[in-house]
Amino acid sequence: MAKTILIIDDSISLRQVVKMALSGAGYDVIEAGNGQEALKLLDGRKIHLIVSDVNMPVMDGISFVKEAKLLPNYKFTPVIMLTTEAGDEMKKQGQAAGAKAWVVKPFQPPALLTAVSKLILP
Amino acid sequence: MTLDMELALQTFFEESNELLSDMERILLDVEMDATTPEQLNALFRAMHTIKGSAGLFALDDVVRFTHQVENALDHLRDGSLQLDEELAGLLLRCHDHVKTLLDALAAKEALPVDAGLPLLEELSARLNHGAAPQPSAEPAPAEAAAPSPAEARASAWLISLRLGPDVLRNGMDPASFIRYLHTMGRIERIEAISVKLPAGAAFDPESNYLRLELIFAGEVEIGALWDAFEFAREDSRIHIWPLDEAPAHLAELSGEVDAAEAAALQAVWQRFGLPDATAPAIEAVAAPAAVETAAAVTPRAESGKAVHAEARQPKPPESKFIKVEAGKLDSLINLIGELVIAGAAANLMARRADQTPLVEATLAISSLIEQIRAGTLSMRMIQIGEIFNRFPRVVRDVSRELGKDIQLTISGADTELDKSMVDKLGDPLMHIVRNAIDHGIEDTAQRRAAGKPDTGTIWLNAYHESGSVVIEVADDGGGLRRDRILAKAVERNLVPADATLSDQEIFKLIFEPGFSTAEQVTNLSGRGVGMDVVRKSIEQLRGSVDIDSEPQLGSTFRIRLPLTLAIIDGFLVQNGDATFVVPLEAVIECIELPPAQQQEGTHDCLNLRGEILPLLHLSTFFELGAAPGKRQNVVVVRFGDSKAGLVVDELLGEYQTVIKPLGSLFRHLKAISGSTILGTGEVALILDIPSLIHYATRKESERYSPDGEAGRRSRTGSPS
Repeated sequence: MAKTILIIDDSISLRQVVKMALSGAGYDVIEAGNGQEALKLLDGRKIHLIVSDVNMPVMDGISFVKEAKLLPNYKFTPVIMLTTEAGDEMKKQGQAAGAKAWVVKPFQPPALLTAVSKLILP
Repeated sequence: MTLDMELALQTFFEESNELLSDMERILLDVEMDATTPEQLNALFRAMHTIKGSAGLFALDDVVRFTHQVENALDHLRDGSLQLDEELAGLLLRCHDHVKTLLDALAAKEALPVDAGLPLLEELSARLNHGAAPQPSAEPAPAEAAAPSPAEARASAWLISLRLGPDVLRNGMDPASFIRYLHTMGRIERIEAISVKLPAGAAFDPESNYLRLELIFAGEVEIGALWDAFEFAREDSRIHIWPLDEAPAHLAELSGEVDAAEAAALQAVWQRFGLPDATAPAIEAVAAPAAVETAAAVTPRAESGKAVHAEARQPKPPESKFIKVEAGKLDSLINLIGELVIAGAAANLMARRADQTPLVEATLAISSLIEQIRAGTLSMRMIQIGEIFNRFPRVVRDVSRELGKDIQLTISGADTELDKSMVDKLGDPLMHIVRNAIDHGIEDTAQRRAAGKPDTGTIWLNAYHESGSVVIEVADDGGGLRRDRILAKAVERNLVPADATLSDQEIFKLIFEPGFSTAEQVTNLSGRGVGMDVVRKSIEQLRGSVDIDSEPQLGSTFRIRLPLTLAIIDGFLVQNGDATFVVPLEAVIECIELPPAQQQEGTHDCLNLRGEILPLLHLSTFFELGAAPGKRQNVVVVRFGDSKAGLVVDELLGEYQTVIKPLGSLFRHLKAISGSTILGTGEVALILDIPSLIHYATRKESERYSPDGEAGRRSRTGSPS
């Protein structure tokens, strides 16, 4: 069975492209527009990887990861943060929240695909 | 570019436009009030998201520009730069430039990239002025460079992985690194060293205690191997050596760990067939994991607080919408129109068959169809706020240009009306608002002299009223000058010099073609294309405009529009076998044709309470050839201020129906504006009242003009 990746980003077009790239590589993709929507999707289903934007309305990526890490089913789900803010401060925040990997925006789909395949294979 | 990519690009344009209008709204709000952190963050996010998505589509020019703007907004957000009026103006211009870039991209035109350069210079000048100069870094590449020289190549490698204890907590599975390695080559040997594994209660299942040693075979560059561990590199000790060089580093590696681990390590390496490292140089190196954990604790606590505080701030609610292509909705509405007709036909059949259960079933279906129709039509309804929202910017720009101080108050922005109408309403409304700024609101000096506050006000208001939508544009300016309008109209031969007109009639003269009272032709109005175009476009939407005005108190333009263009409230009339629909809003009253005038063709006019009403016999006009009915009726219709009477055989009453446009073959027909299908399946034509009235009045005036009675025409109202 294909592995499931959850993409969280407030930009619909970004989600569209990321989804195209990831499903093209053989992953199943589910999407959410912000952290809160994403939390609703964490309903016990198996999610192998989460790719999340940082700066989003309603609930940002960092808060989302913190919340997600409190859920027993998703405690160990790897998280890639997509971010334009590549500064150390951001990395520290992400790390503290429980995300370790990050991909700097703007990026091209192959870059994300490589990052994803380092964590999970389809 | 693939089709999918093209679609995604389309989404990107739509989404960017939404973000840009959000940005504009916030910037305009900000000009009035102090900023809140949420607003600044929303501003930042608009540019941030556009930049992020633009990068995805490799729109480098957009990325470059938005990056700089984002940079400036970032400084605003962290407080090192203050948002003042000047900066807001500059950001508005940057917003415009991004919009221009995107529009050019959407139209596949060359990008006016150079136009952005002065803006960027201004921005960086502001940045250097308002804050410590910060060189704005170009967006970093997606992949960080590998720390080790990437040139080294070998076919076999020794990889020593001491992943940090937090690696699991950080969401990484050590096994996944191994799996990824496996995609690049072959893993010859792998062994785990578990001396660190504590026994019993001390074991924390969330911590990593394992050390992995592996021999990897594959023609890869060392950089590629390092990349595999990119995400784990920070708090892990990872060593990668070509296999033949490895023994030289063994001592160094043993020195990093404690005795037990070093012994285990050596045992493993021996099993790997590597030469024994006989002289381990014991140099005390602090356990790296311990140091890094300590370092990581402080920022974690801090950022935890920061995030928490942020979460407490109220976030603007996000509305949920699905974007649907307007064409899809139109064809759905069309289908539902067909469904209504088919349903009515089924109903008729059931009744003819005289089977009660069947009749009941069809009735239930009909009521469902009715609900579906109402629901679908409501999908086309959008909030008028969509047009209103562009006015704060217009009022700001135009009033500044004219040196007037004007504030805009918007209410009823959530009033809904048909999408197709909203699209066509923008321009006329813009014209009325600009007119109000230009001619309505006086100079500050004049306002002071009149005892009014310096700041003029323009109100935009919308509300529903008995099946129609009313949009008001009001100002507290000097009001329309009745005498000047009348003088101008007389001068232009629009009315006879001795005409007695009501205020309403005089105000409406400004809608006549070529009418402009502005003494000076300004940049904005008074260019001749004026209010007549406004009236025409509103009448095309089956709407009307009224004006109220009081000297010194201001004027109100009131636009009245039907709720939707797809459905018409009609009045059904019959002549012989033909059924016609008269738009209900055009009908004033219905009267019986006096028996004396029943004889067709004898009189073309009717004395309606002392007013002369030109008559139009529909049977004659459409050459129906049917004998006139016994009792004929007159439907008095009005358009603008012209009236006429339509002579028909029978009045069938009100009827709500879906308009079907005529095919291209019939586009040139003047008297008919569309068609509709009745429940019986018969076609009824919708009459084009303006052109019928025009025909009736012209016919009448032609008859009387040789007698020099043209003046009377304007009393009844001149057709436009």
